[in-house]
Amino acid sequence: MENNAKKFELLKQLLLADEREDLRRLREEILEYEKFHGKVNPIIDEKIEELRRTFPEEFGGTITETIKVQITESQEDVVEALYPILGKLVKKFIIAEIAKLSDSINQTISSTFSPKQIFRRFMKGESSNAGAVLQEVFEPTIEEVFVIEKDSGLLVGSYSRGNIADKDMVSGMLTAIKSFAEDAFNKEAQDLEDIKFETFQLSMMNYRSVYIATATSGMVNAVYKDALFDQINELAEKILRNRNYLSNEKMLNELIEATLFKEDYVAKRQGR
Amino acid sequence: MIAKKVLLVGNFGVGKTSLIRRFVLNEFSEDYISTIGVRVSTKVVDLDGEQVKMMIWDVAGTSGDEKIPKSYFLGASAAMYVFDLSREETYNTLDAQLEMVKGLSGLNEVVLVGNKKDLLSEAELATVIEQITLTVDLVTSAKEDDHVEDAFIALAKQAIS
Repeated sequence: MENNAKKFELLKQLLLADEREDLRRLREEILEYEKFHGKVNPIIDEKIEELRRTFPEEFGGTITETIKVQITESQEDVVEALYPILGKLVKKFIIAEIAKLSDSINQTISSTFSPKQIFRRFMKGESSNAGAVLQEVFEPTIEEVFVIEKDSGLLVGSYSRGNIADKDMVSGMLTAIKSFAEDAFNKEAQDLEDIKFETFQLSMMNYRSVYIATATSGMVNAVYKDALFDQINELAEKILRNRNYLSNEKMLNELIEATLFKEDYVAKRQGR
Repeated sequence: MIAKKVLLVGNFGVGKTSLIRRFVLNEFSEDYISTIGVRVSTKVVDLDGEQVKMMIWDVAGTSGDEKIPKSYFLGASAAMYVFDLSREETYNTLDAQLEMVKGLSGLNEVVLVGNKKDLLSEAELATVIEQITLTVDLVTSAKEDDHVEDAFIALAKQAIS
């Protein structure tokens, strides 16, 4: 029996020699792999951690560039993806702004169409209701007034609601822009009168030795402009009749306020 | 306080804007910002106890062919012509350039300033000054803040004279 077992073992060795060799090699490979794995794993983990830390600086530029190229090349897709989000944002903003505007218009309509106001406007001969409402909703306000010596661009007097850091520099640059525009179009006998930017309108009234620049915000219509020009002409007349104003900035500033901002000036004088 | 318009004129790249930056803001920028048209800065100087507000018009430098609006020169009380000591082309037609400034502004005198002194050795500087037939009022370096204030004081003095 024992003999048989030995013979069987011998037979197995003879017949399965190749398989045994394969099995040994396989076992060695697996062991080798596990050893290798044990050694390499910490290095890979460390590299991954390092890459995570340095990723923005190593690849940030490339990714930004790739995204830029992608956006440029697939604008349609980008628009498609962003459209719903932006649409919602814009809609929300517009609704909020319309609500504000609507409140303002309602308020104006209720005061504009009160019997007293209708009677007053009827007596003045004003007819455009829409114009009246818009004019009141976007009421124009004089923000800045500069009286500037014509050639030199020196500021001789001013009034400001805002906080302009260097009025002298502004009046100099304004004069330079005015000179540039007049020169560029070869209109020596003509003066630059209006510059519009966003909600501001800059108007310049030219006189012999000075020009008066006013910055107005709000909705400036022809009626308002006419009234403003009348007031500025009145101011210019006073200045040109009494040249002392041109050499006394304080006196001129007071004159500007008293002529163009009568209510504010009176309130200030009365200590209100 | 007296307020005066003064001009800074000179070829493109001679350092007019750097001189103003040094004088008005006390800083020098290595960044080169070319001037487009004109830039106006203000600075108040004290002249023997009298405050003078200078409105400095930095008129763009040209290579000669470009047109500068004549009105930039009107109403000025003084002018400084700046040239680059290290570039001959900025001072080889000084006579004509100064006459042009005088003609447009109506001024009789113009302060003549050679800038970028820091780019020349003493010997080179002497040679350049010798080469120029006109009297150079001051040599300056905006980069090293050398004689910049003196140049503007000379300009302010001319403005109130």
